[in-house]
Amino acid sequence: MKQIVSPGCTTGPFFPVDFSDGSEDLSQRNGLAAKGQHIILTGHVLELGGKPARNMVVEIWQADASGIFRHPLDPRQQDCDPGFWCWGRARTDADGVYRFTTIIPGAYEDRAPHINVAILGIGLTRPLVTNIFFDARADVVFECVPAELRSRLLAKPEGDGVYRFDVILRGENETPFFVE
Amino acid sequence: MMDDSTMKIDYAPYDDATQTLRQIDKYTPSATRVPSAPLIERPLTLSERTGPTELVSKWNVGKLDLCRLAPDSPRALGQLIHVTGRVTDEDGAPVSSVVMEIWQANASGKYIHELDDHRAPLDPNFTGQGRLVTDEDGRYEVFTVKPGAYPVLYSGWWWRPPHIHFSILGTSWMNRFITQIFFPGEVLNEKDLLLNGVPSRDVRDRLIFKPTDTVMGDLSYIGYQRDFVLRGHRQTPELP
Repeated sequence: MKQIVSPGCTTGPFFPVDFSDGSEDLSQRNGLAAKGQHIILTGHVLELGGKPARNMVVEIWQADASGIFRHPLDPRQQDCDPGFWCWGRARTDADGVYRFTTIIPGAYEDRAPHINVAILGIGLTRPLVTNIFFDARADVVFECVPAELRSRLLAKPEGDGVYRFDVILRGENETPFFVE
Repeated sequence: MMDDSTMKIDYAPYDDATQTLRQIDKYTPSATRVPSAPLIERPLTLSERTGPTELVSKWNVGKLDLCRLAPDSPRALGQLIHVTGRVTDEDGAPVSSVVMEIWQANASGKYIHELDDHRAPLDPNFTGQGRLVTDEDGRYEVFTVKPGAYPVLYSGWWWRPPHIHFSILGTSWMNRFITQIFFPGEVLNEKDLLLNGVPSRDVRDRLIFKPTDTVMGDLSYIGYQRDFVLRGHRQTPELP
């Protein structure tokens, strides 16, 4: 018999700080450096009125530089880069800023390079999910977003390997989010 | 266990009638943080159907006891409880080998967190947080103390009833799960904004522990149980 999915709830304000420690850097694993272009992925998480959202949890999930996920469903799993964590977690600081060290993921099948993002924290009873893209090439998920909003899902290169992606939870220039 | 049929798992959108409301009246942070635009539908690709199964090897997880810093250390203050349960998918199949994160206030209603301004004492013997991995049958267990209630200082009136936070990093990006579980019979449950942010009594009951056994002996404790159902339904293969 089909079971009813359990109700979720917000993390609240006191998600342990330790739970994010050490997961902001995806680019080193088992003493190895990840293959591919290393980047700093950073930005603000902002609420209505452009106010910084402090103490929010940002989680990411992405493929390695060859477009491979370390997961049994990926037929190429065995070839996933041993020097790369596909998952990361960061917490926004007092200015609402998060920061990851990662790589630009590879494309695969019908997906352009992209990073899955989930935002958790006070005010959100369910995680908010979206994708970060690096350019506007064809992608089955990118194309679900109304054309005039797509630029809001592009990370902006700022030089020296820094890419900026601001998450605007609500209000002007609100980030497009997907059905979770 | 993962096998070829895992690809056929269906992740239907959450049924709002069974879930906490996105926006809750009087829960003011939801008014400034929940997006105003409708969420966008998208196809599920490998990227959404996979997830951080690798975390079991990333984190050092073992048996979880929040009530002492080491097996022979003094126990935390408060009522010792044993929390158990099982994690399954919508078909009732066990969700095994996934990481569960647990955190809570101590018996005085104080969290170990830099942003907790409640002037209640910390307990040096209480860890307040930890991780475990579900076993092959999807089961979990943890020894802890019953958390205290605490005031939400910015609200001017709202006291949170005792509750424990659970976070599960499932087998796919589509079944990331975070919740709070409450204790039966607490007066504060009646007015809690979050517990009452679910649409029906039936759903609220799924956010409350069930009392189980009371145990007496060298270690005496009260048992509480809460199972979790994560989204994910194995589609019936179509006949040729």
